[in-house]
Amino acid sequence: MFKKFTADEVSGQNQVKASVQRKIRQSIADEYPGLELVLDDLLPKKSPLIVAKCQNHLNLVVVNNVPLFFNIRDGPYMPTLRLLHQYPTIMKKLQVDRGAIKFVLAGANIMCPGLTSPGGILDEEVGADTPVAIMAEGKEHALAIGFTKMSAKDIKSINKGIGVDNMHYLNDGLWKMERLD
Amino acid sequence: MAEKPEPVKVLYCGVCGLPAEYCEFGPDFEKCKPWLIQNAPNLYPQLVNDLKEVDGVSDQLRVSGITEATGPSGSSAPKQEPAKRLPGGKTKKKDKQEVIIEKVTRNKRKSITTLKGLDLFGVKLSDASKKLGKKFATGASVVKGPTEKDQIDVQGDIAYDIVEFITDTWPDVPETAIYFIEDGKKVPAV
Repeated sequence: MFKKFTADEVSGQNQVKASVQRKIRQSIADEYPGLELVLDDLLPKKSPLIVAKCQNHLNLVVVNNVPLFFNIRDGPYMPTLRLLHQYPTIMKKLQVDRGAIKFVLAGANIMCPGLTSPGGILDEEVGADTPVAIMAEGKEHALAIGFTKMSAKDIKSINKGIGVDNMHYLNDGLWKMERLD
Repeated sequence: MAEKPEPVKVLYCGVCGLPAEYCEFGPDFEKCKPWLIQNAPNLYPQLVNDLKEVDGVSDQLRVSGITEATGPSGSSAPKQEPAKRLPGGKTKKKDKQEVIIEKVTRNKRKSITTLKGLDLFGVKLSDASKKLGKKFATGASVVKGPTEKDQIDVQGDIAYDIVEFITDTWPDVPETAIYFIEDGKKVPAV
């Protein structure tokens, strides 16, 4: 999704009003309970919260010029990888085998066999349509953020085709955009 | 979880910007190697071993091995700079001194002319908007974006007179640095 993402695609950025700001905070807090304690540090109440609108109904939540979260249409907010690296425990994790890494880093969606093979780990609790962190075999940090197409049980039983949509991965456009101004 | 979870510090490669452990899948593993050997030897023991092996072989090979080893690491410092500039490169492009004029139509026959980039020539935007308003006898205002992209909005279609006005009022602004946006394309004014 962010494969060719550049600052040019930001069509407009607005400082959002307080009520919208509250709503964003609330939905992030609901989505990621693990972040609750640091949420005040991440989204300080004082400093302005900016929402950058981009093409394809994409929104970026930007604080102090640093993109922290993104969402599509009214979908769930997902952290950027840089944020996820700092707080790796906030998301459910799926692990792909080593062979899949290079494809994922090229922007490919995550196929079921990569998750069910010996190198992959499936969290059985993950349902369909949830944001997940994609980890890799033998690596410590997440390499992508995905949005599950089917539940973990389905991934296991069907074991074919796309299991997780790749939203954001290392070295894509959003990753390279450390600061937005 | 009563305690505040500390943010994890991730080691990012100084060359390609990825977490060091992903360098091998990065765009240019070869360039990252010297950096990795220095900063994260435990992640890629294979690399360090390779280096030692090269050192262990006959003298001639060793010399070439060392030059090989020092060569990239020595050159990596200057090489790093252009790589680092790349993310900032875009901003630098934008900092190029040019004035961009765009006509936006509203209500079918009314239009607004927006002027971007005057501030790059050291022109005070509030003064400029006042002068523009006076000259064209319309409303002209400085519109502030949430970031530092200020622009001047002038009511009415003044796109063609404005070039002359700009060059007359601010001699610092060369005519060649003024561009129009027509049908989404940048067209030089001259």
